[in-house]
Amino acid sequence: MARATRSGTRVDKVVLAACLVASLLALVLPASARQSVAGDIRETFVGPLIALQVQAERARGAFVARDISAARLDSLVLRNAELRDMELENVRLRALLGLGARLRTGFVAAEALHRPELGDAHTVLVTAGARAGVVERSAVVAPEGLIGTVIGVEQESSIALLWTHPEFRVSAMSADGRVFGIIGPHLGRGAGRFLLELQGVAFRDSLAAGTEIRSSGLGSVFPRGIPIGTVVSDITTPGGYARTYLVRPVVMPADVTVVMVLLPATANLESAWKAPAADSLQRAIGRAADSLARAARRDTVPGDSTRRRP
Amino acid sequence: MKSFFKGIGVFVLLVALHYSVRPLLGTRISVDFLVIAVLLAAVHVRPGVAALIGFGTGLIADSLTPLSFGAGALALSAMGSAASWLKAAVFGDNRVLQAIFFAAGKLAFDIVYLVAERRLGLGDLLVQLFVWSPLSALATGLAGVLVVFVFRISMESRP
Repeated sequence: MARATRSGTRVDKVVLAACLVASLLALVLPASARQSVAGDIRETFVGPLIALQVQAERARGAFVARDISAARLDSLVLRNAELRDMELENVRLRALLGLGARLRTGFVAAEALHRPELGDAHTVLVTAGARAGVVERSAVVAPEGLIGTVIGVEQESSIALLWTHPEFRVSAMSADGRVFGIIGPHLGRGAGRFLLELQGVAFRDSLAAGTEIRSSGLGSVFPRGIPIGTVVSDITTPGGYARTYLVRPVVMPADVTVVMVLLPATANLESAWKAPAADSLQRAIGRAADSLARAARRDTVPGDSTRRRP
Repeated sequence: MKSFFKGIGVFVLLVALHYSVRPLLGTRISVDFLVIAVLLAAVHVRPGVAALIGFGTGLIADSLTPLSFGAGALALSAMGSAASWLKAAVFGDNRVLQAIFFAAGKLAFDIVYLVAERRLGLGDLLVQLFVWSPLSALATGLAGVLVVFVFRISMESRP
């Protein structure tokens, strides 16, 4: 028994010595031989383990990349939102420029600052006042149409009452000048609160849905021809003395940040809003953009020999 | 026989974990599942067999790092054989001593491996041996105890 144990111990020592010698030999092998042996082992026994390691490395890479991707995505979404706002503002400013070009004179461009105070949702602060020629009851318009009227004037600023105010009124007519009435806010609930009413229309007159409504110029407060909205439906109550129509406004005051205050001398503006699509300034901007794009394309055309010469 | 196949299964699983979990964590303080696998095997076999298991496992590990080819085999052979000779002192169900056993095995492996591969300069070698290796040894010790506990592996020595 003791001999067997001693024999076994001797074998263990021999095996250990053999392993150590083989390991040391592997350590001092020439690089090419080491590569060759390691390659043989990799291709025979270690293949599945390498596959496991590759998967694990990829998974870890994905974990690390996820945070970076999320941060990039957040930045892109934010920039995209900002670009969208800038794009809308750009369109609005272009339209305002176009309107200014058509009006030529008799207006003051200003910013409309919405006031966050409670109970003040029906007025805006306009950054133009008496010094710029603004007076009370001046009409305040956006490129799309009527927003409100000035009710208070300071030297550098003024307060405008929006059409959403329950007491706002404007004398209005159909765009063809056939039907007249008084525009006021529709004091409904929910989404209906953001609509207008054309009241006091004679029973003999009827308006089809989609008819454009403009200011009539009667009363000398609002110049004639400012777009107000389009007819949605007839909401005349039974037993009334006149027809009432629901009107969808052309502009929502909350969306407006830049306005034009029309000075009192302005009388008839029908031509200013006649053909906004054919706006000359927009076309000029479009032409300029096209020519810039063409120039940029010319610059990047490969093999353009004329540009390579000094 | 049942425990033999269970031992082989755990060994293969630990080798697989070494190449799947370790790269996933990607930290300098890492659990060395190969060391745990060889130590668990060494407790149950003769020193010569333990040396062979360590040698084979080391060659597999070295095949992925050809520049230090042989260092892993040398370290695991020596560590496995030594663990098998010392198995009389492997302390049954005492978890703390088991953790020390696994941690000491990892530390011994690192010392032999790092010296044999001769890749690190003296400064880096000292930092590795006195900072990262002890921390990795600690992690390996805890993981080894966890493996023993989860798989209910007997640490009683056999001839």
